[in-house]
Amino acid sequence: MTQPRLSFLLPLLAFITLAAVGATALYGTLTGSRTPDQLPSVLIGTQAPQTPLPSLDQSGSGAPVDLGRFRGAPVLVNFFASWCAPCRAEAPALEMLSDRVKIVGIAYKDRANDTMSFLEQYGNPFAAIGMDVDGRTGIEWGVYGVPETYVIDADGTVKYRHAGPLTREVIDQRLMPLIEGGGS
Amino acid sequence: MTVITAVIRGLVMLFPTIMMVSMPPAARAITAEEMLADPALETRARTLSKQLRCLVCQNQSIDDSDADLARDLRREVRTQILTGADDQTILIQLRAKYGDYVLLNPPVDRATLALWFAPVAFIALGGLLVLAARRQKQAAPAILDPEDRERVDRLMRQRRQKGRPKR
Repeated sequence: MTQPRLSFLLPLLAFITLAAVGATALYGTLTGSRTPDQLPSVLIGTQAPQTPLPSLDQSGSGAPVDLGRFRGAPVLVNFFASWCAPCRAEAPALEMLSDRVKIVGIAYKDRANDTMSFLEQYGNPFAAIGMDVDGRTGIEWGVYGVPETYVIDADGTVKYRHAGPLTREVIDQRLMPLIEGGGS
Repeated sequence: MTVITAVIRGLVMLFPTIMMVSMPPAARAITAEEMLADPALETRARTLSKQLRCLVCQNQSIDDSDADLARDLRREVRTQILTGADDQTILIQLRAKYGDYVLLNPPVDRATLALWFAPVAFIALGGLLVLAARRQKQAAPAILDPEDRERVDRLMRQRRQKGRPKR
């Protein structure tokens, strides 16, 4: 027999194709370019939602938190809650980031008293804190679980969304380039 | 024998009951206070909820899910219904915030073409393969090419020589 038969070649070809698809996916996951645990955010490339939020203010007389106030420089928006364990884990990371960039905190479905004791215990890295008591602002942003962190550029455009606690890789490879690059 | 048939008959008769006992009760995530007073609007809300994915559990609709976010989205759907939004508008608005992923029925577009039509393509491919295999079987027995023919002849000769009984 000089030529391999089709019935042999075809399954082999199918297998090679499948293996190639699998290998590509695995490679992407290992190198961090593919993140199957992250849902893509629809907001990226669009203007960040501007709905003003009641402020968590120690004096109790704060003006509503408005993202527009932070135009002109990149800003991080961090959804957190006192009832959220991973938020405690990422508190040191946010503390470190707060030296480099302004962070707006949005307390998601939390009570003001609980939020305040959370901040007392784990530190307050936020330039401003808005209260999203019923979670509607979360829905507006497409939040599907706290913590979530958004990078907003100087023009108010959403550049990046990370769901889950911030890790060293995410900060170094994703957040910092966007912040240092002026966020645009 | 009669005992065995009786047992089998008994089991068959009891089958519906056994099934009902062994199946978990239908999950009811929705609570009474969430429901809208108007039954027609409530039915619309339920139908919509069944088409929306809970983004926390990801394989349940917000109608099925007990997650907090699912409850918030159910409330969002009902709030929108009460303000007079039609079904399509509600779906479009949620899609604008959570993306196509929030829809349990992904829309047909370039990214989902393979998803929607690959099954059809694979069935067609399988059918073609079966047809081809059948045709090959029915086809006349293959004629050996000269090279192979010669090889067969040689082997046969060798065999005959070896197998020749000694005198």
